[in-house]
Amino acid sequence: MIPFDYRRAGDAETAVAAVAGNPGAAFLGGGTNLVDHMKLGVAEPDLLVDVTRLPFDSVDPLPGGGLRIGAGVRNSDLAADERVRTRYPVLAEALLSGASGQLRNLATTGGNLLQRTRCGYFQDVTTPCNKRRPGEGCSAREGYHRYHAILGASPHCVAVHPSDLAVALTALDAVVRVRGPRDGHGERAIPAAELHRLPGEHPEWDTVLGHGDLITAVDLPPLPMAARSRYRKVRDRASYAFALVSVAAAVELTGDVIGDVRIALGGVAHKPWRATLAEAALRGRPPDRAEFRAAAEAELADAQPLRDNRFKVPMARNTIVSVLAGLTGEEPR
Amino acid sequence: MTTSTKSTVTRTDGIGASPRRPDGTAKVRGEFAYSSDLWHEDMLWGATLRSPHPYARITGIDIARALALPGVYAVLTHADVPGVNRYGLEHADQPVLAEDVVRYRGEPVVVVAADHPETARRALERVEVGYEVLDPVTDAESAVAGQGAELHPGGNVVRHVPIRRGDPDAAAEVVVTGRYEVGMQDQAFLGPESGLAVPAEDGGVDLYVATQWLHVDQRQIVAALDLPEDKVRLTLGGVGGAFGGREDLSIQVHACLLALHTGRPVKMVYNREESFYGHVHRHPAVLYYEHGADRDGTLRYVRARIYLDGGAYASSTGAVVGNAATLGVGPYDVPNVSVDCWGAYTNNPPCGAMRGFGAVQAAFAYESQMDRLAAACGLDPVEVRIRNAMAQGTVMPTGQVVDSPAPVEELLRRVRAKPLPPEPSGEPDLRTLPGGVSNTTHGEGVVRGVGYAVGIKNICFSEGFDDYATVRVRLQVVGGEPAATVHTAACEVGQGLVTVLQQIVRSELGVERVTVEPSDTTIGSAGSTSASRQTYVTGGAVREACLRIRDALGALSPAELGDKVLDETVEWRHRPTEELHPETGQGNAHVQYGFAAHRAVVDVDTELGLVKVVALDCAQDVGKAINPQAVLGQIQGGSAQGLGLAVMEEIKTEGGVIRNPSFTDYLIPTVLDMPPMSIDVLELADPHAPYGLRGVGEPPTISSTPAVVAAIRAATGRALTRVPVRPEHITGT
Ligand SMILES: Cc1cc2nc3c(=O)[nH]c(=O)nc-3n(C[C@H](O)[C@H](O)[C@H](O)COP(=O)(O)OP(=O)(O)OC[C@H]3O[C@@H](n4cnc5c(N)ncnc54)[C@H](O)[C@@H]3O)c2cc1C
Ligand code: SF4
Repeated sequence: MIPFDYRRAGDAETAVAAVAGNPGAAFLGGGTNLVDHMKLGVAEPDLLVDVTRLPFDSVDPLPGGGLRIGAGVRNSDLAADERVRTRYPVLAEALLSGASGQLRNLATTGGNLLQRTRCGYFQDVTTPCNKRRPGEGCSAREGYHRYHAILGASPHCVAVHPSDLAVALTALDAVVRVRGPRDGHGERAIPAAELHRLPGEHPEWDTVLGHGDLITAVDLPPLPMAARSRYRKVRDRASYAFALVSVAAAVELTGDVIGDVRIALGGVAHKPWRATLAEAALRGRPPDRAEFRAAAEAELADAQPLRDNRFKVPMARNTIVSVLAGLTGEEPR
Repeated sequence: MTTSTKSTVTRTDGIGASPRRPDGTAKVRGEFAYSSDLWHEDMLWGATLRSPHPYARITGIDIARALALPGVYAVLTHADVPGVNRYGLEHADQPVLAEDVVRYRGEPVVVVAADHPETARRALERVEVGYEVLDPVTDAESAVAGQGAELHPGGNVVRHVPIRRGDPDAAAEVVVTGRYEVGMQDQAFLGPESGLAVPAEDGGVDLYVATQWLHVDQRQIVAALDLPEDKVRLTLGGVGGAFGGREDLSIQVHACLLALHTGRPVKMVYNREESFYGHVHRHPAVLYYEHGADRDGTLRYVRARIYLDGGAYASSTGAVVGNAATLGVGPYDVPNVSVDCWGAYTNNPPCGAMRGFGAVQAAFAYESQMDRLAAACGLDPVEVRIRNAMAQGTVMPTGQVVDSPAPVEELLRRVRAKPLPPEPSGEPDLRTLPGGVSNTTHGEGVVRGVGYAVGIKNICFSEGFDDYATVRVRLQVVGGEPAATVHTAACEVGQGLVTVLQQIVRSELGVERVTVEPSDTTIGSAGSTSASRQTYVTGGAVREACLRIRDALGALSPAELGDKVLDETVEWRHRPTEELHPETGQGNAHVQYGFAAHRAVVDVDTELGLVKVVALDCAQDVGKAINPQAVLGQIQGGSAQGLGLAVMEEIKTEGGVIRNPSFTDYLIPTVLDMPPMSIDVLELADPHAPYGLRGVGEPPTISSTPAVVAAIRAATGRALTRVPVRPEHITGT
């Protein structure tokens, strides 16, 4: 670890100014990802600006029926919030499927969204990695890539985003509120589905945020259909492991057909993957397994698995089918 | 129970009871002092610079910039090793610090001591090592075939053991063949390698360290330091698990070197990643088997070729090869056997001891074969095993006659007779389904499967090794009450040895107060805490010392001793074993065999490839359960470790480099992955062993893995010839 300064921010404005004014500075949330990276030499900030004392630590109702989740709300607290559990069960389930109790007690909403990929080469500074050092090459493409992307990857990077929370937020049409150096006293709103990006030629950028952009909150829209939502995570052991594939979904039945549906996939791409093709294929269709399967296949038609992760394609398809079947009462809950 | 005629008071906390462990409460509360908690005023921190390459020639080492860093007290290379710069458990083939070549990624090259761990780490960054990278050897089979660079003088075969019994050309009506693979498993102990070396005024050094065998460490340290034995004194630090991974040296010589060089105490602690590079792993294996049998399933012959990847240095590869070869057909009576087992040098991480070594790899293959044979003969898997089960009197492939109970058939019958878990019905509890609490499935596409396996393991050190333990027991009256003390160098690594030794003394001497002193090298060797041997050998030695004390007591009771102190030191050996014949593998190589059988019941989500082990029931013969609770603990833990190998645990290497050196990426089972177990403990006394006991720790690890895989096969119909089994193997994608 290199030496660094530590500062505790009293308000958002100074926090933003402190980081924006120093290219080597970083915000510090719970530190469960950033501090690991500092130990590994993956991140070498010379100034940490602790944002956990900022007044963004509550979940508040929004006019119109939504909820505003402060960026500093800990994962455990958010998962336990009764409004979240009853109105957005997919969100609580996603959080509880992630990491461990101790980690969730520390991890913040903002930090969780901005955690970085678990690609082993990204975390091993002795190997080439375009995300860590652009232009070096991608070790994972031909290396150990069982956990890597099947959708939206580029020749430069095949990593996946590890956050479970982000997948649920993407399905829920949540909006991320950001205060940046150029936003003055105001904030910008970025749909959760657009916060993370595909790697393209610049895998070093995980998100559309710039240096000094502070996440202050995440807004959940009212979305009554979310009361019937679910998160499923397929992994190598029953707890405390990252997703091979995960699915967040909400379904609304109108009469005998699917009125509306939201599906997002985790563990398959550089960003939470909103399954818009599958959603479009399902609207107005009867809720049966054949339809679910066709929709999942439509979404995955362009999947480009790597040598050792072909299994993820049928796994994603079957997980989508299974989640939708469960949500529409195709099989006992 | 004992041979002496004098009756002893049966103590409530004696043999057969499960008294509270002296270390239990502290461990549960987080107050136990592990070796990583060792502390000394003025101490320095040691750190190790490791090779970034699996195979390379060192062209130069420049330490000047590291030495110049304030706070750095020593930067040492191979040139600073005063004695022989080679160590090893069986062959001294491993440099303390690399000289001209490095043979694995993670091999120590330079050590430093500094005033703070961070200073030490920065000093390492300032060391410049020039490497000329060479083509690594990464495949054991081709290494044995002589392909690739010769990594050690004499070639890349560490050991080859052939076993020949009966007719080499035996034929049979039914023949089944298979190729099997076992991945590299890690011991995954929780306490990382750590210790504290304190230089002494006499020019020697005192080392406090977490290890499995103080004297074998001492032997290797004195050779490297060129010091007489009495100048290197070891005391056991608190050990956070071992499972074989602490048999080889890690920080031992390095910390002593640094302490002697600086004249200051030096502490070394690996972090988790370094720990993955800093200890040996379970040998990955490729196994080719052919079983020939009559139509009724009676075995005619077994032929096998087994390749074990020993990695860069020999460690205990020789013994692992010996076990895999001699136990290669499993607990079966086979008239004609031809087994060849090789251990290879490669540039992969060094592999050595891990719970059940050699037997674990072979069992996955021979038990998979027994299931294939059952299918080929149209027999039930348990039937085919019982038909061929060995028993007391069976002649092993080595020619050794089994001269104590070998209840293979009964163990199988017992696990088969256990009630099966109820079929899932109604609203399932999510924790009981494949995928666990992440509620991956709700029961759709879930298929149940049942699988059986039985395994065999040699207990204690084999093949002519002089295997003994030294103990000292003293009896005196303290504060009006009789009290005994036990002193040994045996290592408590978490298995509960201290408690067992207390129990033996309580029963034999009829005293309540028994103190087990810290283990150190001021007494003779107690041998290794491995091969399931400590209760047998050190326990046997304690018993012998107690018997002598009872003789000395004569008609007195302990309370009537007055000022007298009865003090007995004994060196106790189990019966001798023989070396294997180099061409035929014949010989009475083993002291004792241990047996366990498992029945696994799994639910498999066939759509997603997820497995939930619903039941993993076990029957094991332990001869005599000295501490029944500890026996159950060993069986549960061993079974869990076997389950881990079956479905998740594997160190992934790529060109000799470990790709998952962390507990986030190397997965071990959690409580959610492990079902509650129903366990039958048999106590069929071995007449040759103290109390008739049998080593307990390893057998359950051996049959657990093949039983789980057999159950997954039964549910899916897939061949599954490699462990760990992954979702993609189950869905076939
Ligand atoms: C062993 C382990 C297992 C895990 N398993 C899972 C899992 O299964 N699923 C899962 O989803 N996650 C998992 N995680 C990741 C965990 O969820 C993240 O580490 C955590 O959510 C990060 O939150 P934090 O507050 O600690 O972030 P930090 O580590 O403090 O910060 C992470 C990043 O976000 C930036 N940042 C923090 N707050 C803000 C803000 N308000 N505005 C702008 N930037 C900010 C920091 O500068 C840093 O770049 C696991 C982590 C570990 C260590
Ligand atoms: S996949 Fe991305 S993060 Fe991983 S090595 Fe390649 S560039 Fe780096």
